[in-house]
This record gives sequence, structure tokens and C-alpha cells, in this order.
Amino acid sequence: MSLSRRELLAVAAVAACTPPRSPTAPAVRIEDVLGRALDAAKRAGATYADARVVRRRDQSVATREDHVIEVSDDETYGIGVRVLVVSNAMQAWGFAASATVDEASAARAAERAVAIAKAGLGPRVRPIILAPVATYRDHWATPLEVDPFSVSIADKAAMLIDIWSDVQRVKGAKYMDGSCRATAEQKTFASTEGSLIEQRIVRVEARYGVTATDDATGDSVTRAHELAPRQAGWEYVTRSSLKADARKIAEDAAAKLGAPQITPGRRDLVLAPSNLWLVIHESIGHSTELDRALGYEANFAGTSFATPDKIGKLEYAGDAITFYADRTTTGGLATCGYDDDGEKTQKWNLVERGKLASFQTTRDQAAWIGEKRSRACSYAENWSAIPFQRMPNVSLAPSEKDTSLDDIIAATDDGILVSGDGSWSIDHQRYNFQFSGQMFHEIKGGKIAGPLRDVAYQSNTIEFWHSCDMLGGANSWTLHGSLVDGKGEPAQSNAVSHGCPPARFRNVNVASTRRKT
Amino acid sequence: MSARGFEICDRVLALTGKLGAAAVVLVSERDSGHVRFGSGEITTAGEVSATTVRLTLAFGRRHAKSETNQTDRASLEALVARAAGLAKLAPDDPEWVTPLGPSQTPNNPQAWDDVARGSSPSLRAAAARTAIARAEEKSLVASGYIESHADTSTLATSTGLRAEGRNTIASMTMTARTRDGTGSGWAGSEVTRAADLDADALARIAVDKAERSRGATKLDPGRYTVVLEPAAVAVLLDYFIEALDCRAADQGRSFFSKRGGGNRIGETIFDPRVTLRSDPFDPLTPGRTWDDDGIPLRATPWIESGVLRNLSTTRFWAKHTNREPTGAHSTFRLSFAGATETPLEGIRRGLLVTRFWYVRWLDRKELRVTGLTRDGVWLIEDGRVTRAVQNFRFNESPARMLTNVVTMSARSSRIPSGEVMRIPTITTNDFEMSSVSDAV
Repeated sequence: MSLSRRELLAVAAVAACTPPRSPTAPAVRIEDVLGRALDAAKRAGATYADARVVRRRDQSVATREDHVIEVSDDETYGIGVRVLVVSNAMQAWGFAASATVDEASAARAAERAVAIAKAGLGPRVRPIILAPVATYRDHWATPLEVDPFSVSIADKAAMLIDIWSDVQRVKGAKYMDGSCRATAEQKTFASTEGSLIEQRIVRVEARYGVTATDDATGDSVTRAHELAPRQAGWEYVTRSSLKADARKIAEDAAAKLGAPQITPGRRDLVLAPSNLWLVIHESIGHSTELDRALGYEANFAGTSFATPDKIGKLEYAGDAITFYADRTTTGGLATCGYDDDGEKTQKWNLVERGKLASFQTTRDQAAWIGEKRSRACSYAENWSAIPFQRMPNVSLAPSEKDTSLDDIIAATDDGILVSGDGSWSIDHQRYNFQFSGQMFHEIKGGKIAGPLRDVAYQSNTIEFWHSCDMLGGANSWTLHGSLVDGKGEPAQSNAVSHGCPPARFRNVNVASTRRKT
Repeated sequence: MSARGFEICDRVLALTGKLGAAAVVLVSERDSGHVRFGSGEITTAGEVSATTVRLTLAFGRRHAKSETNQTDRASLEALVARAAGLAKLAPDDPEWVTPLGPSQTPNNPQAWDDVARGSSPSLRAAAARTAIARAEEKSLVASGYIESHADTSTLATSTGLRAEGRNTIASMTMTARTRDGTGSGWAGSEVTRAADLDADALARIAVDKAERSRGATKLDPGRYTVVLEPAAVAVLLDYFIEALDCRAADQGRSFFSKRGGGNRIGETIFDPRVTLRSDPFDPLTPGRTWDDDGIPLRATPWIESGVLRNLSTTRFWAKHTNREPTGAHSTFRLSFAGATETPLEGIRRGLLVTRFWYVRWLDRKELRVTGLTRDGVWLIEDGRVTRAVQNFRFNESPARMLTNVVTMSARSSRIPSGEVMRIPTITTNDFEMSSVSDAV
């Protein structure tokens, strides 16, 4: 359904919330600006258009040992207009953006976007058919108790510096890098199909790493805390164990420095959620992106071994394994109410009982795999970026049994426990991967026997997930993730979480991150 | 000359003048346009003009940084208020160094081209269509990206430094794949003048590689003599450059740390024919002539005839260790005394590698990284390419690459990398391919 500008303004009048304006916001009605952009796009010849006014704020503080080295608070604001032009049997997308958010600039951006689309008109290998979407007039915001931007930068710095006071008491712990970051995306979306959606997404991260050095050998290692970034308020950081763990993290660094190097070979691995999430991200999350599977990312992010013709056939893993996508997970970094196509977010299985079940899609992709509705995976990192398919939160479902990490260790005669994320790398079709971690402990006879260092494990996605023979239960399931995941040209960054229980993998190829001498 | 940039700088400095604070204002203006194609069709295209105003403000040793992309008076006042508020709350930073005063930082006209600035949507779309057509002629599928941007940077400090720089960059990359997924080839180039981009020639290279990469067979992992094309070298060199940090070396945290303390400047670490330099005035690597602190970027050798000559040194660390700061360079040129026109010559058995993918640190102390080959690997036997082989994962050190180098090509290329990098093809020994990848 298409709305006129007048109808759109009527929608705006009853919209449930008005985004709080920054003191820097010009005195314009966002709804008027968006409406003008859509009107101008249609007048210039667009078949469909959407526009986003986005204000993005990014605040961070960084410390080194007992002092602050950087404090920053950045903000960008602008409007991006995306148009679809159809002429005879030819179609093309166009995009233009303006940092000036007023009606005249929005109209100019829309007209420019149409001109750009017309320059690219051509017959399509895969026609652009936008999956139907309901008209939404709504708002959505990150549930939070304490807005991180209301917390003094001095308090944030003091929290990190206070951690150093514990770290420096540990022998061998010589350096510490700390940082806190808060981001807020406030976006108002409108489309020529009548939706008007306001959202505010707030994410926080706090981390530190301790470096231990040995002057005699010239050796050094770093051990980072494993607290995951989260879509949440500052209460997530203050309630975390960052400070309580300080001494332990420093002791880990010292222990890792003196630990024996891994002997390469085949080993059983017990992977903590703080390590396994990244394997899920690379091997499952990226391999089930539909644009990648169909070759649209071939020049940069790569393609995928999983292709639509393999739905229901490709065995990723044994039937105890189910991976699901969920942009509604509480605290998930990719969680929101609506995607940047204006579709409502949802939860669905990507790999069900071991078999490929579905893909991640946007409105213009759903029809390519015969689906009637988009999976709401469209995202643009900012006002100046083009929305395209980005990863939702992708998680591993826990075992129905109440199995704990301790249970898995107790059941393991000879293995290695890996926690935290370290080095990571996977090939451009998502087969061959190699991961490291933060801490590695030998498991002997069902008990933790001592630390190891320089461990990496290398495998193939299908072989690796088939080797999983123990999963933790729901009580052991935790959410991890990253504020930064790159894809696309021009490259864009997406924040995404992955939840999982601990799990055991049999007979995995383990290598040393150091060179064999 | 960016009148607008200096005008914004001056407006911000006027607002900070009453605060009694030291201020550094950096205005970055960018006009960019792109077209992307994938799976044999144009997918997205767009243009963006953006201005970023970054203000660093310091009250004594308490400092903070803030950015905005809005340049109206109210937004700049808010910028100053935000930075001032943060700086007053920030604890003392013992590493703070006051902004630089007036100095000679000449612009580099070689880095700018008015034609590149005017690159149009229709020109970019035409180039994309050319690339797609070259692939289709051979029943291949093209994906790629063409971008041009024009950057103007302006810096002014409360202590009197004023600097400006302009540069244009146009780039194109393309991947051609066989329809059955058994072959893939890549080509890419970056230029200052958009008119110098040759979409047809690049597309032909990608197409040729895709065709020749079909039917790859599996080779065992192991240590090989490898011929690394410029795109492969560039990504390894990125990690090498990141490791050229003087502070980390002095503190014992780096490959360039000396056992027992200090760093390895002055040591012959690499093959004595290897030289790595930064020089924004080099016509082959034209770039901005000052860094974000306003430090003039002079010609700087990092490696000279195999000897480590410099490590990147910030103003604080330079003061702390009684050295000169190097500035943060963004132009790099790798060269070799006695370079060859025939890098494959004399290789009994080795691998020819197009490019690497997903390179990540393994061990900073050893300067060791991991990653994978991509878009064309071939076996070399007796100086000739004999057959396509499957991709490999490698675990190797960019430093060893420069230590074990056999030769480099006389011809070099500018590779799209985020920095201006002029890179030859390198032949190097004993390169560790640790496992085989099934990816094509």
C-alpha cells in the first residue's frame, strides 16, 4: 500500500513517540523531512522509496594502567534516501544522503538517488520483487535502566583505573589497556508504503586486557576479560564481574606466560560460550546469508558452501544441533523492533536438527528462495549507508538436559578447555577455519589439570559441527558478541550477538600459534 | 585551498578561545560515489557528501575529543560544550602533549585530480557494465566494486598551526567466477586520477585468472617457495606496518623488542636488498603530507637495505625517549635492489598466489599471522605455471617474508588498501601453508 505525503503526515501525528532531540537538532519536523524525501523520489520516477533520519552517538574512554589516554564523544546526523526505479523490464536501486536534515536537502537527496538509479538501469538476473510488508506506525527502544550517556565520563574512567589497582598487585602483570564504549542509534524510518517507525538502540561495552612480560626471555602475553558487549544500559556494566575478576585476570596472564606450549595434534576440545560464539558467527552466521550464498558478496566477503538448493538436505551437524536466528533476543546486539526495510523482526531456525533449514533475507531477497515474507535482516550502519542484508543474532540452542560446563569437563578424559576469543579466521566459502582463545586448560581424567598457551584449533565447518557430542543445557547458555562485524562495499559494520551453551568437540586438529622451531 | 575547511576551523577556534583551553580542530570533507555489482548485475549505487569536524580540547593535561558532522553554529557550539564538558571531567593524562605550533606543511598537488572528483554515476555504471560484459563473454559471473572519492582535510590549532591537504582516489576491484563454482579470479587497482582506471583491462585479468583456476587439484600443506602478487603482499605488509610501533618495541611487547631491553633499530633483520619507505611526495605514493596531530610527514625509511631504520613514534613517546616523532604515515613503498622482470624464473617448485583473505594476528610477539589464499593459486614447476591448485591456510610471519625474500618484481602496483601502498610481486622461501581449504 502506498501513502501520500498527506497520509504520511497524518500517520506521524498519531505516532506513539517523538524522538528526543539533541540540542544540536535543527528545528524541523522529522516527519516533514521524510515525507518530502518520499514525495520527491516518487515525483522523480521512483517506484518505491524509503528514507532514514539517523542520529548516531558513540562515546568512549580508554585507559592505560592508571591514567586516561583518550576520551571521545562523537555524533553524526543525517538522512539517507533509497529508491527503486523500474522502467520497462529494467530495474535499479539508487541511494543518496545528506548531512543537512531539512526538506529541501531531503528532496535533493531523493532526486539524486533517482538519477543514480537511472544511470544503473538494466535487466536483472534476479528481478527485484519486494516481499509484502504490513504498514507499521510504531516505536521501539532498548530496554534499559541507566542511560550510559547519563553516566559521567569520570566515573567510567575511575572504574577502569580502579581495576588497575588490583591488577598491579599481581607479580608479572605489567600493563593494562582498558576501555568503555556506549553507542546509540536513533533512527526514524519512513517508506512510500506507509510505515513510520522510530527506534533507539543503545549498546554498551567495557573491557580490559592485562599483559604479563618476562624481561629475562623478552616474552609477553595478554589476557583479556571476557565480558561481552550488550544491548543494554550502563547497569549491565556495573553489575558485571569486571572489577571482581581483576586479580584473577592478572593471575591468568601471569600463568599463561609461564604455561607449557601446546603440542600440536588431534585433541578433544571443550569450548566455553565465550569462545564458541565466534565459531557460530563465522561458520553458521555468515554461511547462511542469502546474498553471500547467491554470489552477491563474491568480490569481498565471499560466497558460501550453503546454497538454497541444499535446504533440507545439507547436514551441518548431528540432529542434536539447532541454530536459530533471532532479532528479538533480549540484550542481543542485533535486536530491534524493525529492520531497515520496515519489516518486524522475528525468530526462525537456520539449521534445524542438524540440517540447513533457511537463510537470512531482506524484502528484495525473500522471493529468491520462494519465501513470502522477509526475515527482517536489512540494516544500514548510519544515515550515509545503504541498507542491505546483515546478520541477525544467531544462536545455538541448548541441550534439553541440564548439563553444565562442569559436567562436560567431568565427562572428558583427555582434552583442552578453551575460553574467551583470540585469533579467528575462516575461508571465503566458510569451510576452513582456525580459532584461538584467551585461556587454555588441559583436562585430564575429568579435571582441570593446568594452563596451556599458544593454542589454536583448525577445522572444517561441517566436520567440526559433526564432531560435537556434548552440549550444555539452558542454564549454561550465555550471550556473547561483537560491536563490529564487517561486510559489504562500501564496508559497513554491524553489531551482533550469539548465544550458546558450552560444548565438546572430538578429535579436533590443534596447532600452536607460534612457529615450529 | 579549502576555504570552507579553514572557515569551520576558525569558527570552532573562536568558540574555544574564551575557555582557556588548548584546541586542535580537524575538518574532513569527503565527496564519494560508488557502484557495486554482484552475480553479474549492478546491485547498488550511491553518492554521499560528508563533513566531519573533530575537536580535541585540553585543560592542562585533561583532554577529550568530540566529533560532529553538522556545521551550523548551534552544532559547533554543542561540539565545543561537549568536548569541554568531557575534558573537565577527564582525569589528568600524563601522556598529553600540547598541540603543535606554526610549521611548514606544504600540500601535495600530485595527490589531487579534479577529474576524479567529478566521476559520475553514469561513468561508474558504464565501467561496471564493461566488467560484467567481459565476464559474460567467457560465461563467467562478475562481481565488483568501483569507487571514487575526493577528500579535503584542514587542521588548525589554538597554538597557530594551519595545514591543509587534498587527495583523490579512484579504485576498482573485480572477482570473476565460473558458473559451476570451480574457478575464481580477482584483479584490483587504485589510482589518483579516475581516468587512469582501466575497467576493461582489470576485468580481463580477473576473467583470465578465473578461467585458469578451474580444475584445481589438492597439494599437501607444507613449506613452499611462494610468488606473492601485490594484493597478497599488501595485506601482509599491513600487519608488518602495524607492528612498527616504537613504544611496544621499547616495552618488550613486540617483534622489534631487543632481548634485555630496548628495540632493534639499527639491526640488519631483513634481506639486505629490501627497502620500505614512506614518502607522501613520492609520485608513486602521493598522499597527505601531515598526520592528524599536524606532524609534517617527511620521507622516512623503515627498512633500508635490510636494516631496521625507524619505528613509528608518537609525540609523547618521542618526548619520553628523547627521539623525534615520525608521525603516523599512510603511504608506503616496498622495493628491492636488483628487482627482476621475471619473478618465476629459477623456481623449481613453488606456488603463485593472487591474494590473501581473512588475515588475523596469531602472535604479535612473533609477528605471526594466519589467513587463506583466494581467487587463484597455481603450482610453479621449473619456472613455469603448470596447474591450478586448491587454496591453503597459511600461518606465517610478514617479517620472515622479508627475510626469506628471493626477489621482487621491477613492476609494482597500487593496491586498494585504505592506505597508499606501492607493492611489487615478491618471491619468498619457506612460507608455511598449514592446511588445505576447500573454498573456491
